[in-house]
Amino acid sequence: MLETLLERFRRHDRLALARLLSLVARGEQVEEILAGVGEPGSGAVSVPRGLARVVAVTGSGGVGKSTLIGKLIEPIRAQKQSVAVLACDPQSPLSGGALLGDRFRMPARPDDDGVFIRSLAAAGGYGALAEHLVDLIRLLEAFGFDVILIETVGAGQGDTVVRELVDVLVLLLQPETGDDLQWEKAGLLEVADVIVIHKADLPGAERVEAQVRAILALGTGSDVPVLRVSSRTGDGIPELWQTIAARPLRRRRQQSGRDLLRLAQQTLAARFAAAEAAGQSDLRQLLAAWQQGEISSAQAVSALVRFLANELET
Amino acid sequence: MTELHPLRVVLAKVGLDGHDRGIKIVARALRDAGMQVIYAGLWLTPEAVVRTVAEEDADWLGLSLLSGAHMTLVPRVLQLLREAGLEHVGVIVGGIIPENDIPKLLEMGVARVFGPGTPLPEIVSFLREHSGAGHA
Repeated sequence: MLETLLERFRRHDRLALARLLSLVARGEQVEEILAGVGEPGSGAVSVPRGLARVVAVTGSGGVGKSTLIGKLIEPIRAQKQSVAVLACDPQSPLSGGALLGDRFRMPARPDDDGVFIRSLAAAGGYGALAEHLVDLIRLLEAFGFDVILIETVGAGQGDTVVRELVDVLVLLLQPETGDDLQWEKAGLLEVADVIVIHKADLPGAERVEAQVRAILALGTGSDVPVLRVSSRTGDGIPELWQTIAARPLRRRRQQSGRDLLRLAQQTLAARFAAAEAAGQSDLRQLLAAWQQGEISSAQAVSALVRFLANELET
Repeated sequence: MTELHPLRVVLAKVGLDGHDRGIKIVARALRDAGMQVIYAGLWLTPEAVVRTVAEEDADWLGLSLLSGAHMTLVPRVLQLLREAGLEHVGVIVGGIIPENDIPKLLEMGVARVFGPGTPLPEIVSFLREHSGAGHA
């Protein structure tokens, strides 16, 4: 069944992509799926391409993330680049349900196969989503999208996590959102790669821009662009995309090592679980020796790593 | 290995009426019942709705129509779903649907029509009971 899906994915079947995204978002069969879709640009997919530009858009609720993403689709498509959107909304901690209402603010383009929009329910906290986000990005990248836009649940400390997974983090601010100290508190300005003063057709946008620039000037050699954008009038949208497209791709330089470590951790955890379930005697003895204090934690760790490495080779 | 997972339901209004109060109340009820509700919005074409269902990997599609155009728009959506390979997606309809039209819609492949005044738990339990195994 999974094989069929993967086969359809490789033939560029959008329904297969949609189903695989569901599986990965739920954390099911992730390793098999990622192995099956191949590396981006490897030619496993019918249209081989390079890596995608991954852009996250963050900002507090109501600042216009969905609307702006909807607007950004236009200049991206005008450059003949394909784009996938992952729109995240929070999941209720009580019922587990979610009302995913981002895509209705993005223009429907039913005939345009260069656009794919998917809503995601982000479970409590941020970690859970970020965990799967890497894999969702990889899946979309393997399908051949040039640009991947991610709408976060909203501004918060989790953005530092998301920042590590994407190439460009765009922070949205708007007029009348409190004084400059609020942004200092949030610590968001320091993680942003591009800052957008959204709803710039409203009064007060210049003042917000001046405040942001003043704060940035206090930092050391910040070259973070600050742009005034209005989705209502369309002012600043093309410039924003040019700015985003001109940023260096962070993931290529910094994230490959972390990605690899994460995959190694997953593999080791899977081996451990398998050995434990099988009641492997070496592992049992090791655990018993550690629990009874016969060996130190440090010794136990290196013995465990050696054991799991052997399991890998056999 | 399939774990229980929440139902994904796309709710949409096709055609030109702007009455979205009802569909928003249904959205809220389904969310509170633990479902993932994708609210696709107003004034959608059948093509846009089917595209949404495809991209969202939905289990169900709920259409709300208060314009009287249901005998044109609903069959169009059903036809496009079949053409897109989405015949496994169940379709429910809500809004103002005259009694006489309900059997015709069911005949076309609509799973159920919910009129005004339907108790919300009735919609929730219908979706649960008529979904395949593996759903929470």
